[in-house]
Amino acid sequence: MEDKNYIIDLKNVSKIFDGVTVVDNFNLYVKKGEFITFLGPSGCGKSTTLRMIAGFEFPSKGEILLKGKDITNAPPNKRPINMVFQRYALFPHLDVYDNIAFGLRLKKIPIELLDEEGKPVLKVNKEKVKQLKADIRHTKWNKALTQEEKETKINELNSKLEEVLANPEPAYKYRKLSNQEIDKKVARALKIVDLEALEDRDISTLSGGQQQRVAIARAIVNEPEILLLDEPLGALDLKMRKDMQLELKEMHEKLGITFIYVTHDQEEALTMSDTIVVMKDGVIQQIGTPKSIYDEPKNAFVADFIGESNIFNATMIDKLKVRFLNTNFDCLDDYPINEKVDVVVRPEDVIITEPNKGQLNGIIQNRIFKGVNYEYTIIINKNELMIKDTHEYALNKEVGLIIDKDAIHIMKKDFVTNIYTDAYISKNNKVMIDESPFECDLTQLLAGSSIDEDGYLVSKDKKKKYDLADADVVAEIDINDVEIVDDINADEVEAVGEIVDLVYKGDHYQLIVRTDSEEDFVCVTPYTYNLNDKVGIKVNKDKIRLRLKKDINEYEA
Amino acid sequence: MVKKIFAYSYIYLILLLMYVPILVLIAFSFTNSTYIGEWNGFSFQLYINLFQDKEILIALGNTLIIAFISSLVSTLIGTLGAIGAYYSKKRTRTLIENINQIPVVNSEIVIALSLTVMFVFLGNFIFKENIFSFWTLLIGHVVLSVPFVYLNVKPKLTQMDPSLYEAALDLGCAPSQALRKILIPQITPGIVSGFLISITLSLDDFIVTAFTRGPGLLSGEGNIETLSTLIQAKIKKGPIPVNMRPLTTIIFLVVLVAAILVTVVKNQSKKKVKVRKGRAA
Repeated sequence: MEDKNYIIDLKNVSKIFDGVTVVDNFNLYVKKGEFITFLGPSGCGKSTTLRMIAGFEFPSKGEILLKGKDITNAPPNKRPINMVFQRYALFPHLDVYDNIAFGLRLKKIPIELLDEEGKPVLKVNKEKVKQLKADIRHTKWNKALTQEEKETKINELNSKLEEVLANPEPAYKYRKLSNQEIDKKVARALKIVDLEALEDRDISTLSGGQQQRVAIARAIVNEPEILLLDEPLGALDLKMRKDMQLELKEMHEKLGITFIYVTHDQEEALTMSDTIVVMKDGVIQQIGTPKSIYDEPKNAFVADFIGESNIFNATMIDKLKVRFLNTNFDCLDDYPINEKVDVVVRPEDVIITEPNKGQLNGIIQNRIFKGVNYEYTIIINKNELMIKDTHEYALNKEVGLIIDKDAIHIMKKDFVTNIYTDAYISKNNKVMIDESPFECDLTQLLAGSSIDEDGYLVSKDKKKKYDLADADVVAEIDINDVEIVDDINADEVEAVGEIVDLVYKGDHYQLIVRTDSEEDFVCVTPYTYNLNDKVGIKVNKDKIRLRLKKDINEYEA
Repeated sequence: MVKKIFAYSYIYLILLLMYVPILVLIAFSFTNSTYIGEWNGFSFQLYINLFQDKEILIALGNTLIIAFISSLVSTLIGTLGAIGAYYSKKRTRTLIENINQIPVVNSEIVIALSLTVMFVFLGNFIFKENIFSFWTLLIGHVVLSVPFVYLNVKPKLTQMDPSLYEAALDLGCAPSQALRKILIPQITPGIVSGFLISITLSLDDFIVTAFTRGPGLLSGEGNIETLSTLIQAKIKKGPIPVNMRPLTTIIFLVVLVAAILVTVVKNQSKKKVKVRKGRAA
């Protein structure tokens, strides 16, 4: 059986819109009373996930369980879940009181039906029948499932349906809440959000912050099991936002219900949450407490997104020893020797000291006063290191730096090599990666071979010829070997794409260039580019490693 | 100063040109001469005649009945259509919008003719009898005004916060309840103006009426006469019937009063004392 502590449970949930996967295999348990935040840049699928929990979207795959009960295809009005919308979505033709009372007036309370002898009346549960029939319909029309998956699921649902039809349950009749009950609850909700004086006001006369409170009151007055909040503070100014953050946190403690909060603001997430789910491109990157996510980010994306950080390429040189910035450091994370890794150092964890008294020296290039502390940019050889320190140091001064082993967090490297599994060889002996031809060296496919004037690959003993046109190959390119060309019309350019992602790593950027046909090239560059810049790509022909998918003898001419 | 005088005199000139014909008509409704321009002294004779003229009263009754029923039907169809289109996929919505646009820009005679052809066809091949009646006339008027209702309701929908409907569902409304309690109140101004435009279109209409009418309503066995078809029939034979002058005056005054009322009601600030039912006094 399901653990009763989990209020909501998302199992392998995916959402596909017109062939684009927006949420990919999302798995999450939420404990009762938890404050959980979905954090990620816009378009990462966090809002879609929230809307699936609310019932405005239905998952293409997977299921959603509420207290162990399947609610995957239940409509929003049948879920004990309420939502605070991004732009509040208050009803403009109703005043504050009527907005808050809206949900209560629709609510129906079950009373058990008893016969004359006081025993419960048994009837077939029509609601369940209706729900199961709807589920069957949903399954039939679900494009994301294969025919077989559909059949097994429909059979399963049909047997459930028969079971429900065969077993009458105690029946209920329903009554509405009385006006007195409604008034009591509305008054309580108004008190929680501190709006007692404004109940008669029209929505249009309220300020943004007040509207926000009405929206929260309207949701919590229904006593939902879960409160969903979709970037609720996005439209408020900074000061207001800070106040509301604290108030929401207090409210969460007072009400004791589960909050699921969606935001792209990492600070908001760190301040308020018990648990943070970091998302990117529909995939969960990391789930953890704010502290664990800040201190031990799982990858460079999380480290870069949560807080400010210095990220460097590094190599494990010994057990618990890592080398970066041309210096060897002790560390606490155990990775195999010689593995290439990413290292994160938080700006506040670097200690500034006298020159030559630390592990390495650097020169202060820049200093910004931030109120609480100074933000320094230190140049070490060609690398930049950001440091936050409360003391004032002179510009262009050489300083010593200490990075304690606690301050070094090591992460598995995301990409070292670009691998293209569906590449093929074109008629003129170029390798086609995503419809773009790249110059390559085909002789690597056969030791000692050469290319004759007709474009055939000839074996070392000149006895065999191979026609490799249309041969399927796997192409590999190290990220260091992908060169970026600014002028996309230049002759040397082999593919053109848009920069979709970039992470700064001390002295260089690691960026992802996505072509029109959605192939990604991960590359590194010392120069500054912006997101969405159009750039050209070229690769030295010796740097493309090729591997034939079939045996070379199949291509013998 | 001179510029101001010019500006004002321009406006008054235009207003004069617009209202002089109506004012002349009103003036001559208070005399009993046959021809306009001839003043036989002040009298209410024409008004007395009007209320004894059965032909005109029947036509007036027909006109009002058709206007009211066709407007109700087209408001219903147009509003639901607009809501449906608004929540459709973008391609479907654009398609519906373009199809809706055609009758608006198309000339009325084309609509009238094609409706007639269709009714004749249906009558000959499907129903095997002449189907021209009140119903064909009603269909004609509905076809005429539905696109205008759609055009009035659509902007109200686009102005609305799209998450209102979702918020209603979230708070426990079934889709039909959300439509009734949240969506309809939001677009009511559009629905009302769509309804009023439908009434005006139907009251005025001659071409579609002339082509699609059949026997029925207050006209009984004869073809349905509306005010516009009646006047057309009369002036074919002689001068404008004198009793039209008091009728036009009355219609003008009714519209004027209605317009003033609407303005007054709009400008009145809502000062309601709110009563909370559940509260102990």
